[in-house]
Amino acid sequence: MKHIEAIEVIDLKHSEKTGGCGECQTSCQSACKTSCGVANQQCEKAKK
Amino acid sequence: MIHQYKLNGYNIVLDTYSGSVLNVDEAAYDVISLYEGHSREEIVAIMAEKHPDIPVSEIEECLEEVEELKTGGKLFTEDPYGKLAQRAVDRKSHVKALCLHVAHTCNLNCSYCFASQGRYHGERAVMSLEKAKKAIDFLVSNSGTQRNLEVDFFGGEPLMNWQVCKDTVAYARSLEEKHGKNFRFTLTTNGVLIDDDVIDFSNREFTNVVLSLDGRKEIHDAKRVDYAGHGSYDKIVPKFQKFVKERGDKSYYMRGTFTHANSDFFKDIMHMADLGFTELSMEPVVCAPDDEAALTKEDLPIVLEQYELLAEEMLRRKKEGHPITFYHYILDLTGGPCIYKRLKGCGSGTEYLAVTPTGDLYPCHQFVGEEGYKMGDIYNGITNTALRDRFAACSAYSREGCRDCWAKLYCSGGCAANAFHATGDILGIYEYGCILFKKRIECAIMMKIAENSIRKDGSAV
Repeated sequence: MKHIEAIEVIDLKHSEKTGGCGECQTSCQSACKTSCGVANQQCEKAKK
Repeated sequence: MIHQYKLNGYNIVLDTYSGSVLNVDEAAYDVISLYEGHSREEIVAIMAEKHPDIPVSEIEECLEEVEELKTGGKLFTEDPYGKLAQRAVDRKSHVKALCLHVAHTCNLNCSYCFASQGRYHGERAVMSLEKAKKAIDFLVSNSGTQRNLEVDFFGGEPLMNWQVCKDTVAYARSLEEKHGKNFRFTLTTNGVLIDDDVIDFSNREFTNVVLSLDGRKEIHDAKRVDYAGHGSYDKIVPKFQKFVKERGDKSYYMRGTFTHANSDFFKDIMHMADLGFTELSMEPVVCAPDDEAALTKEDLPIVLEQYELLAEEMLRRKKEGHPITFYHYILDLTGGPCIYKRLKGCGSGTEYLAVTPTGDLYPCHQFVGEEGYKMGDIYNGITNTALRDRFAACSAYSREGCRDCWAKLYCSGGCAANAFHATGDILGIYEYGCILFKKRIECAIMMKIAENSIRKDGSAV
């Protein structure tokens, strides 16, 4: 595309089938402790 | 739902429900903003008037690209997650993480401490090894098939009960093979009691350590003082530097708190970087609105500017080959959290619980000591099931105020504790926090686009 560049992102809809294992880190155990932010958490499967 | 913004020279479009991130030119940016609510002919006419220098053929190209993305489910996607959010809420979850309050006491007397100098509105106390072991047993027996279990040694100041921390790790490790579990331990400390034993043990056993430092000496020492009123900066910084140096490539975060006194916290983050730390986190203070540390309406534009300054500086440093990490700007667009995690959030009160020195269970560390928020204890498990169900119902779709928000799949509806402290209701909205959160996500995504541009052609950021 000439005017629009689509950055590669996770297929959110598809993750409905592949996700939900719950093995990822609990967000408040990492560094914040005072505000929720799941966006910066990594998928445990993607880490492997 | 889409969100459009301009930052650091980039025109950015986010499509909430597909998660698409688009870097677009000026013409496409305006076409996208007009797309809903205008016919093709109207868009061409409006664009021709606003941008007489852009040929109609270019506008037509933009429209074709928009339509291609829309057809491909990457732009203007409808919300497909309403039912899934309910299913995610209804799913039985297991406990997988504990915030273990091994010490409700502290050797510092920080004026802004949300834990009331470690006491959490109660008496000073330390957790016995017997209770810590029982907490580990509770976690294992309530974790179902979850393999990865997390325990954060928290306080107060956990190093004031260090032997119990070490013995708890040994006990948990002894259960791993038998129960098919993998424990991940973390430590959150003010640094005062760090010594070689703490460093050696932590660097061997802890997957992450969170080290509290507020930045510039005068900022840190104004709040983080001992009971004689002396600042702790000079005592802890050399210890933190040794700790981090010996940690090698294992994870750590320097974690600061910014308040009304340092709404210009970019300088504090840079100070941490100047001290040689590269993994950095800086959080807005949590306190009552009438507290002198509370961030004000007047602070807001200053705070938002700090996030932009930080993003630009981080890009500069990355380009020059000496990057720093900011916790809230970590964003893995391709390997980030699945839709379930985005819908359900932090899991407080269900997957994640806090344990007090006496063995009481709370939904998270920020609710400890709050009347009416005790969930049960490590001996009898969760007995306040109505409270658990209220937390289980929290999701990106449970707050009316989130319905039209583009960021809800990044924040999952926000922090229940923030909502409670701001509104008295865990399903409330902490609007100030939302504004900061959205700014951080905008910055983080802009950085991803900028880094993508650098990778592609090595051009300027």
